[in-house]
Amino acid sequence: MTAQIKLLGILKSYVGNQSQIEVNAGNTVREAMRALNIPSELVALVLVNNTPQTKEYCLQAGDVVMLMAVVGGG
Amino acid sequence: MNGYGGNILRVNLSTGKITKTPTPVELARDYIGGRGFGAYFLFNEVPAGADPLGPENKLIVSSGPLAGLMIPGAGKCDFTCKSPLTGGYASASVGGLLTAEIKYAGLDSIILEGASAKPVYLVIDDDHIQLRDASALWGKGSITVEKILKDELGEEFQIACIGPAGENGVPYAHINHDYGRQAGRGGVGTVMGAKKLKAFAIRGTRAIPVADLDAYRQAGMALYKACKDSEGLGPWQNLGTTMVVSWCDEIGALPTRNFAAGSFAEGKTLYGPVIREQIVITDKGCFGCPSPCGKYSRMKRYGTRVEGPEYETIGMVGSNLGIADAQDVAQINFLCDEWGVDTISAGSTIAWAMECYEKGILTPADTDGLELKFGNVPAVFTLIEKIAKREGNLGALLAEGTKRAAQKIGKGSEQFAIQVKGMEQSAYATHNATAMLLAYMTADVGAHHNRAWAITYDLQVGRELVGADKVARVIWLQHVRPMFDTLGACRLQWVELNIDLEMYIPALEAITGVKRSWQDLELVSERIWNLTRLYWAREHKDFGRAWDMPSPRFYTEPPKTGTTAGQITKLEDVERMLDMYYAQRGWDANGLPKPETLERLGLANLVA
Repeated sequence: MTAQIKLLGILKSYVGNQSQIEVNAGNTVREAMRALNIPSELVALVLVNNTPQTKEYCLQAGDVVMLMAVVGGG
Repeated sequence: MNGYGGNILRVNLSTGKITKTPTPVELARDYIGGRGFGAYFLFNEVPAGADPLGPENKLIVSSGPLAGLMIPGAGKCDFTCKSPLTGGYASASVGGLLTAEIKYAGLDSIILEGASAKPVYLVIDDDHIQLRDASALWGKGSITVEKILKDELGEEFQIACIGPAGENGVPYAHINHDYGRQAGRGGVGTVMGAKKLKAFAIRGTRAIPVADLDAYRQAGMALYKACKDSEGLGPWQNLGTTMVVSWCDEIGALPTRNFAAGSFAEGKTLYGPVIREQIVITDKGCFGCPSPCGKYSRMKRYGTRVEGPEYETIGMVGSNLGIADAQDVAQINFLCDEWGVDTISAGSTIAWAMECYEKGILTPADTDGLELKFGNVPAVFTLIEKIAKREGNLGALLAEGTKRAAQKIGKGSEQFAIQVKGMEQSAYATHNATAMLLAYMTADVGAHHNRAWAITYDLQVGRELVGADKVARVIWLQHVRPMFDTLGACRLQWVELNIDLEMYIPALEAITGVKRSWQDLELVSERIWNLTRLYWAREHKDFGRAWDMPSPRFYTEPPKTGTTAGQITKLEDVERMLDMYYAQRGWDANGLPKPETLERLGLANLVA
């Protein structure tokens, strides 16, 4: 019962430059980020199965989550 | 000259004289193009002390060596002049299709000089260049005028035009292009209006010479492939800059009620996905763009459409005015576009007026009866028109921008005029984001984010941290980001799709035949940066450290609500950052370049 978390850009540096990590379902995205030592305030966009969600979204088994930071601004 | 249109066009609006001269090789070597050309011509050709609205000021429109070629986002055009808003250096960039057409017409810069006695518009059709009577266009909105000229001349012509605000001398009037893209900041549209130039239209059919066609195709395709392979492409195209609204709200960077706070409790209805679902009808890109972040929206309630709203507009005329409805914000965007004012400066100036009203500094007698409370949407609609027309006491006051309006009204309102060097701060609240605050303080046009954007860096290394590394980061950004405006390309593929900067180097070499490194490009950027600093010092006799100070709000008034409640930057840290910044730049304690710095950059001959 796991979900996949894909990390883009600078976020990879917080998990040893991995771009994809498997986490347990049942936690929120924010809790998963905390467990992985990814500063949640760096994450500008959470996509779950290509749909924008909040960091309070509760992960379901099989979810594919993309976390994106904003590096450059407008 | 490979990579260049090859000519500088001068149009004297006073005499009607039109001349064309080859683009100097040395100019391309030392200033590359775009904002580099603009800064060079401004400093060397506009006399010291020139009236920004007088015939001596020049409006310099410049393309760059990457523009108009198959390089991702190679559609950036720079407008430079002496700013009527700040009295200093103004440079505003616009995307779309204009810059490519300039190159195809065999041009690198168009220098608009003098001032016409009557309204005119300029038509450039390759070598056929004409000034035409614009009496019938004068007074019309900028989007309306673009449509009229497209209908008259044909879709192949690219148009740049102003609205009524530019005609009426509002110092933050924009230049519109491609139905809702703008060179927005610093009053470039005001200078165009002062020259009685309502619009220019351009079509070119020439090829751009390229040094090594095979290498160019290879380097260009590699850049496109990197963009297409970027996992960030889908989300970025879907939401564009609206992606950051929710994030800025979360971290306390979303300007709220005249930057009194950085989080907007009512703001969830302005988040990117909501905007996308409620009003966006299609994506819209600039020349050669593989990641079109522009959004075209429909406001059913008002029966109107607009390109946008972008993040900056959402922040400045949404949360900063206490307005939380997507259609209302987009309609304000539309009105600013059509009347011809920059949404950032307009939003900031109206927010300042609303705070004045709520504090009793402005009364109904001052506002022509308008109840200027935060969140009053109809009042904002009315005000934009009043500002553009300079109508009534309030319209005339707010048409001056926050700095001058606050100086006129006084009563402590200067404390919450959110500006640096007279330019209204764009949409990042900087109560506790020291690198971003320094970026605003030292940006060479005033408080604009274009030159350096450092909020994520603040979060990575510590928001309150003040140190040499942070200062160095801001300076590096101030060299790399504006280099894209010099090359004539968009920086967003680099910053949002994580495209490696080094990939641009072989493309530039293949196009121009000149081998350059990023170290070399950064040196050019540093030269331009110091040249614009000299320009400020030349135009303002008291120019120096005091001009780099931020709004006192960010070091005296911690927000009462939101993520940054109770947080603030200490004044001593503001001063320390400036000390370090000046030292790293090779400037003296008053922020002026030292002789050895100018010598190193080849600028020593410019100072007496």
